[in-house]
Amino acid sequence: MRNRALRLSASARGGLGLLGLAGFFGIWTACSVTGLVSATFLPDPVSVIARLITLLDNPYAGYTLPEHLTASFFRYGSGLLLATGIGLPLGLLMGWFRLIDDIITPVFDGLRFIAPLAWVPFAALWFGTGLGGPVLIIFTGAFPPVLIGAYRGARLIDPQLVEAARMLGTPHHRMLTEILLPDAVPSIVSGLRVAAGLGWQSLIGAELIVVSSGVGYMMVQAQSAVSTRTVMAGIIAVGLVGSAIDFLLRLGEGAVRQRYGVLGPSK
Amino acid sequence: MPSRRGIVAVLTSAALIALWAWATGPSGIISPVRFPSPPLVWEALVQVSTVGFGGATLPVHIVTSVALVIEGFLVAAGTGTVLGLAMGWDRRVAAIVNPIFQLIRPIPPLSWIPLVILWLGFDNSAKILVIWFAAFVPALINTQTGVRDIPEHLVEAAYMLGTPRWRLLWGIVIPAALPTIFTGLRLSLQASWTTLVAAELVGSFYGLGHILNEAQQSVYPGMIFVGMAAVGLFGWLTTVALAFIESRVLAWHPSVRELVSA
Amino acid sequence: MSEIEFNKVRRVYNASARVTVAVDDVSLTIADKEFVAIVGPSGCGKTTCLRMAAGFDFPSSGTVQVGNRAVRGPGPDRAVVFQHFALFPWMTVSANIMLGLRNAKVPRDEAEQRVVKVLELMNLQGSENAFPHQLSGGMQQRVAIARAYVLDPEVLLMDEPFGALDAQTRVVMQEELVRLARVNPRTVLFITHAVEEAVYLADRVVVMTRGPGKIKTIIPVKPIRESEAWDRKERIEDVMTEPSFVRLRTEIWRLLREEQKAPN
Repeated sequence: MRNRALRLSASARGGLGLLGLAGFFGIWTACSVTGLVSATFLPDPVSVIARLITLLDNPYAGYTLPEHLTASFFRYGSGLLLATGIGLPLGLLMGWFRLIDDIITPVFDGLRFIAPLAWVPFAALWFGTGLGGPVLIIFTGAFPPVLIGAYRGARLIDPQLVEAARMLGTPHHRMLTEILLPDAVPSIVSGLRVAAGLGWQSLIGAELIVVSSGVGYMMVQAQSAVSTRTVMAGIIAVGLVGSAIDFLLRLGEGAVRQRYGVLGPSK
Repeated sequence: MPSRRGIVAVLTSAALIALWAWATGPSGIISPVRFPSPPLVWEALVQVSTVGFGGATLPVHIVTSVALVIEGFLVAAGTGTVLGLAMGWDRRVAAIVNPIFQLIRPIPPLSWIPLVILWLGFDNSAKILVIWFAAFVPALINTQTGVRDIPEHLVEAAYMLGTPRWRLLWGIVIPAALPTIFTGLRLSLQASWTTLVAAELVGSFYGLGHILNEAQQSVYPGMIFVGMAAVGLFGWLTTVALAFIESRVLAWHPSVRELVSA
Repeated sequence: MSEIEFNKVRRVYNASARVTVAVDDVSLTIADKEFVAIVGPSGCGKTTCLRMAAGFDFPSSGTVQVGNRAVRGPGPDRAVVFQHFALFPWMTVSANIMLGLRNAKVPRDEAEQRVVKVLELMNLQGSENAFPHQLSGGMQQRVAIARAYVLDPEVLLMDEPFGALDAQTRVVMQEELVRLARVNPRTVLFITHAVEEAVYLADRVVVMTRGPGKIKTIIPVKPIRESEAWDRKERIEDVMTEPSFVRLRTEIWRLLREEQKAPN
């Protein structure tokens, strides 16, 4: 009757989960092995994993998989760093100073609806096939969440905390570093986590078009050559790296929230 | 009496436009090849609207893109919310589907493009599938959360009042989860635009992404600008439309005003 | 006939290696149309008992019967008033009250009439089209009570219904509830922390022990209330300063104090 109230034991959950996974991989394998779907369309899981392993040592489209991943990661890191370097201070300033908010927000609102990849031609125009192109795309993807996270953290401060600090005679500089900034940290970290995810997505998109190395590039080359296994291996690699990034950031966010004693959901 | 924010916005915009015109024009700081000057942009706009560019006139491109976004969004949002409802309501469904979902989720939606091209070519169906990969996730997650987070006592009260199963779903569960579902829909729409533009850039016959692609190939900065502006404008319009629907549907909700309309 | 009968009820929770006994051997009969209040320290299991009568929870052993039938699940025959109102935020006041009637397939005209009557009864005229968040706490709880009353239930289960209200509103609601209860009595099970509230409203007050909960004592109030004619007093303050009232209240406080101090 009341399925919603049902609390599953860990083993029941695990069992059902395995059932789901088994079903998923089972159907996939069945389709490709029996030839229901041609192997060009849907290679079976085992051959995809095998391909993934091969790519670890053997180059495809110029580099091995780890080399492609490194190239991708380098662009990703740069874009993220740039987005944080500009977005974080700007967001905080916007949150603290109304005038800056009034100036920047219209510009931001005007530009944010342009999908990150729509910047590609512009990036190509300005940066050619250099580093700047993908970095710009990643920046446009990662910048909004960083800015918004910092903005929210700065704006949504509890006025009573500020009043208490003033009552205790806190000087301006200490107010900034010991009160306002720490209060904004959980929201900032939350924004960074979203930015990291969006940045990784934008990276792949950018690599589909404007570069000559990296995982996205590898996948496009594989698609032209109709090497489905390589494309799927690329998807798995990209997914694994994306998970790892999110997992690490989740740990980081948890640690930050512990340290700053944040209760309840992020602002 | 115009607001302070309004005045500052107008002043800033005017200043930026003036700066733009000056930098690309008389001062020669930025060459028009790198960044188009206002007159060049205007020229491109006129051209694409009248004579056409990239195979059709602007309205055709706009309609193509917007129609695809809406189609993709509806399919993704539809499937996402339905599955999310099932998963949120019944923990067994959630237990079965979750691992598969967690496996697929970290894969950036755009990385499905090469695979989808192998599967469906450059068809419209390919674009809808790519959009689906991106827009499905936020709809699913938010719907599931929305249903899970329904306060238990509301459900108990509904049962106490003798509410039959179907009315429970339509009249209680869905309305209660609706605010969170709409958050997911907003994210879905955003994702739909992002993936559509990407997909159109990679391969398309018509559409705003196609304009951008052609403009890049023929090194036509003014047209690139027009393309980007069109993407931004229609992205904004569809978002506003969704927000309007949300405000009507959730008229009862004492909603909190977002500080930066996220 | 709608009596509530708890027969040797025991409720045990097994949550990952920890066993909690919420209710331990409670036997209690609430007669038809009797108003019984349960008081007790936090965690004594009083809310659990109510939830078992409501059908939201089931005993581990023993039986819970209403009107001589075992409780199998929630239903409009045992209307519940929740502490935090549980009004549906997307429905107007009328729609909230109407839902139970729609579920019972009451014809439209009759349903609307009943809603109008109960709005009058609970002093809610004018608020028909308001949404819950536009109303004060007291008014929201009135809507919740109206929603229960419109069903004309034989049994009314009230789980600390005034607990979320401020002190002054609480007093007003107590007066209103007394008015309703005396004029149109039905079987009521009322959970509260506030001893005065229990003594003022109930025919009998059940005092429970600290968790795991058992019944410590049952104090009859009705005979005293009737012999001292509390209901003839105009205002609640006058009742609560009556010596007979004060004696009862003091006795119950003493019993509760014992439970607070008792070794585990």
